[in-house]
Amino acid sequence: MNFTLKIWRQKSPDEKGRFVTYEAHDVGSGMSFLEMLDGVNQGLIAKDEEPVAFEQDCREGICGSCSLVINGIPHGPDRGMSTCQLYMRRFPDGAVITIEPWRARAFPIIKDLVVDRRALDRVMQAGGYVSVNTGGAVDGNVLLIEKDQAETAMDAASCIGCGACVAACKNASAMLFVAAKVSHLALLPQGKPERTRRVKAMLDAMDREGFGSCGNQYECEAVCPKRISVRFIATLNREYLRAGVVESGLPAEPESPHAESA
Amino acid sequence: MARPSHHFQSAVGRKVVMALSGLGLVLYVIFHMLGNLQVFEGSHALNGYAAMLRDMPILLWTARIGLLSLAALHIVLAIQLTLRNRRARPVAYAVREYRQASFASRTMVVSGLILLLFILFHLLHLTAGVIDPSSADRLDTEGHRDVYGKIVHAFQNPFIVACYLTGQLGLGLHLNHAVTSSLQTLGLERAAFNRLIKAAGPTVALLVVLGNVAIILAIFLGIVRG
Amino acid sequence: MKLDPKIPAGPLETKWDRHRFSEKLVSPNNKRRITVIVVGTGLAGASAASTLGQLGYQVECFCFQDSPRRAHSIAAQGGINAAKNYQDDGDSVARLFYDTIKGGDFRSREANVYRLAQVSAQIIDQCVALGVPFAREYGGQLANRSFGGVQVSRTFYCRGQTGQQLLLGAYSALCWQIERGQVTMHPRTEMLDLIVIDGQARGIVVRDLVTGRVSIQTAHAVVLATGGYSNVYYLSTNASGSNVTATYRTWKQGAVFANPCFMQIHPTAIPPGDEHQAKLTLMSESLRNDGRLWVPKMAVDHRPPGDIPAEERDYFLERRYPRFGNLAPRDIASRAVKTVCDEGHGVGPGGQGVYLDFADVIERQGQDVVHERYGNLFDMYNRITGEDAYRVPMRIYPAPHYTMGGLWVDYNLMSTIPGLFVIGEANFADHGANRLGASSLMQGLADGYFILPYTIGHYLATAKLLPVGEDHKESRAALQRVTGRISRLLNAKGRRTAASFHREVGKFLWDHCGMSRNKAGLELALRSIPALREEFWRNVVVPGSGEAFNQELEYAGRVADYLEFAELLCHDALHREESCGAHFREEHQTTDGEPMRDDTCFAHVAAWEYREHAVPILHKEPLAFEFVQPTTRSYQ
Repeated sequence: MNFTLKIWRQKSPDEKGRFVTYEAHDVGSGMSFLEMLDGVNQGLIAKDEEPVAFEQDCREGICGSCSLVINGIPHGPDRGMSTCQLYMRRFPDGAVITIEPWRARAFPIIKDLVVDRRALDRVMQAGGYVSVNTGGAVDGNVLLIEKDQAETAMDAASCIGCGACVAACKNASAMLFVAAKVSHLALLPQGKPERTRRVKAMLDAMDREGFGSCGNQYECEAVCPKRISVRFIATLNREYLRAGVVESGLPAEPESPHAESA
Repeated sequence: MARPSHHFQSAVGRKVVMALSGLGLVLYVIFHMLGNLQVFEGSHALNGYAAMLRDMPILLWTARIGLLSLAALHIVLAIQLTLRNRRARPVAYAVREYRQASFASRTMVVSGLILLLFILFHLLHLTAGVIDPSSADRLDTEGHRDVYGKIVHAFQNPFIVACYLTGQLGLGLHLNHAVTSSLQTLGLERAAFNRLIKAAGPTVALLVVLGNVAIILAIFLGIVRG
Repeated sequence: MKLDPKIPAGPLETKWDRHRFSEKLVSPNNKRRITVIVVGTGLAGASAASTLGQLGYQVECFCFQDSPRRAHSIAAQGGINAAKNYQDDGDSVARLFYDTIKGGDFRSREANVYRLAQVSAQIIDQCVALGVPFAREYGGQLANRSFGGVQVSRTFYCRGQTGQQLLLGAYSALCWQIERGQVTMHPRTEMLDLIVIDGQARGIVVRDLVTGRVSIQTAHAVVLATGGYSNVYYLSTNASGSNVTATYRTWKQGAVFANPCFMQIHPTAIPPGDEHQAKLTLMSESLRNDGRLWVPKMAVDHRPPGDIPAEERDYFLERRYPRFGNLAPRDIASRAVKTVCDEGHGVGPGGQGVYLDFADVIERQGQDVVHERYGNLFDMYNRITGEDAYRVPMRIYPAPHYTMGGLWVDYNLMSTIPGLFVIGEANFADHGANRLGASSLMQGLADGYFILPYTIGHYLATAKLLPVGEDHKESRAALQRVTGRISRLLNAKGRRTAASFHREVGKFLWDHCGMSRNKAGLELALRSIPALREEFWRNVVVPGSGEAFNQELEYAGRVADYLEFAELLCHDALHREESCGAHFREEHQTTDGEPMRDDTCFAHVAAWEYREHAVPILHKEPLAFEFVQPTTRSYQ
């Protein structure tokens, strides 16, 4: 099979990018999309030209590294999978394929198709955790958790943090990403003590990073490799409303348990 | 400790306020449509209903000011959020394909603008009487203001009918996405109600538009006469 | 060099407790003046960095990925073992200890393995507290399954994504410490060398992968959690970024490398297609619960599988291992697959593959049952191969998966360089010559959460650590080594891509130092690899510059290390004149082709010391078995 690829090339964050057309010849239908790109790159490297920079790592759809918008859809034409799980037999011979990076202000381009997704890490650092020290945890069976509850929490927790939701959203919003983490922890008893602080801190961080707001169009759900449901966004909204109600109660200024200056 | 007002300045907070103000307006639109359906019961019923509303000036003006503030709040927040969302994606995709986003959801800004223009037109036309002064307030046989006659007169004019139908198109599109969307924004989500919530937008949109269009077309086609 | 494992004396059960009590502590005020470097953010690295941060140390944490959450631990599927005995099926710390020692074919340290089994229960509690959504029973208690051919159910799991959930738990703990300012995270930053000053590990040289800037990071101690080296074989189940560079370059600075030839091959991967293939995808081992492995009895049989009648099929695992059949352990099953393929019975492209057939179970229980159990795996297989495994048997082939070998560490997880600690898959650790399923996650988290944070404290409390800086001559020298090497790569300007060398050395190793090894093949490899390496430095082409984001430069540097490390692997395989665990020497087998272990001559850890331009020196750490008696693993 042969393909014509229109690939976004951009040397550095500050330089202007443009589409460059490449031909991929003799592509086996059993090749993965990334292997096809590997082939194009091997050709470029052999000519001492800079290969197309793109991200990948585990190549089995779990690390969340891959980040290509293929013909206008993050992760390409198949649902419920990431780019690394896409195979060339999915495309008709001779097809023209446009490949772009995730586009969002919060994800500046580093080079070609590689973007900087640290904004998602910073949102997590704002509150995507349960503050427990190592050691001293009670026995795992002391907390009984309803099976369905655990399964729903697992549905939310399966987010791979690839950022396709942001890439697909008209408003480049990270709501599905934040919703997945907030819901995962709000559904479990372990996450309850910090739920008020968590949802506020994570949404504040999301705003700070320059993501847009949710338009409830659900493109995020449609491209999510783990098919995370937008119902978790409703859960997130509810958690946020709840936090507003809880917060307007009596003020309390607890002393930081980690104050080092004591 | 943040004040509650701060809580509603975040993107989600603003969305919540938009949803609440929008739902308020939707309620009004439904009552407005139901009230106007009295046109089918003849001039007596409609003019009497209008007179009843005018007999309670405090309620009327409270409602008017309330509606105007809701609308203003809704519009200001819409502008703020839209600008913010534009900034969130400075470089557009060269190729873009939608999978799930409905036509209505993608045209909220356009349908909202159509709606805004239509509301201004509607107020200038029927409330202020600026657009078609020939239908200035007359009294009916019972001494009520003849709202019925005014409407019947207006909807015999093809230009005005075209404007109103366009407005209804905007309203229908907007509500189609808005109602379901605002329920999601308010965090309504239960597996059992999912289909109900999904159907809420299109249903409300359809009923309101059908009701309003029925009035307009009934007059235009001569089914309801002066 | 004398290898002292520093195993505490006394009864096995109380070694760790007594050892912890005898360790010196660092006072809280001093902790914040101490900097610790952690390289790698997989299960071991993330759990160690977060725990050290929580204890009050200043942690500088590095990973080459764009986020710590993407470390390859994320891809582990099956589960994590723990001696909780929640099922009351006879499990205990002693049994987990024994299973692990036996599974490792008696090539690991008793004291380490016992400690691993002891802390295993705590790991589960810790992960639950962090919010890991483990599978639950209807009553709300934690669910277990049996895994990896053991007789008890001690594996905890989160669907088929246990590694992901455990890593995200550790990552969330790390996020907390980053937010608190205790950990400074450096993503997209690759460690390229170790700085040793006055015999102590005092820092690393790193390259910022975005700007290309090479810089020095000094500290009071260095922790490596940089994973395994299966990618030396080019095709493996590992993520393409997983590499040997950190541990290998540390080896060149004086840390000894233990048992490099112990490499686990997983039997059920999807076979390689063509030469462009970059990775082998693992299919869950659970498929062997219902699928039957077979090949055509006739060699080079090109008939479609459906046309081959039952009497012309060889169900080779059932034939050779009637007691365990298709559920034989990983090493045994992998070798059996290789044997039939080598004899010409393999199916699919290049004869590299055997059938994994579900026809019988579909006929017996219906397609719906199979769909319910393995639906996602059948879908994945269909996506990759385009074949429908409900109608045609799957094809599978073994693939390098995990490396038991790694940098040598003592009981305190410290290498032969004082102040250099190695945890997780990067150390040679607790799995001996073969790792049991669901034990790698356990070891990574045990090291990171519960072992290293204690043992490193003792070192920091007792070692004499003078202030060192970036301008120290050893720091400068390390920086020079790194920059010199980068410019050599960029200036070679040859004609071959790094990938072509990687493929070649990988194929060579797979053929001669893969699932089965022999003297002649290993000697051939040892003669050929230097020539390939020489060609690499002469003829590799790396486009672009060093002062920018340059993925090909990163990759070429890793390939250069594989080309050296491959030799070390072969030396070790050549020295070990026995068959044990995953290491199979053709010279040492019974007449039925079963491995023959040699406890008289090889009950030791083979630890190799680097020598410039010379054969590495072998040191032996004898393995004493005080508490268990080595027996023969038999699955026939």
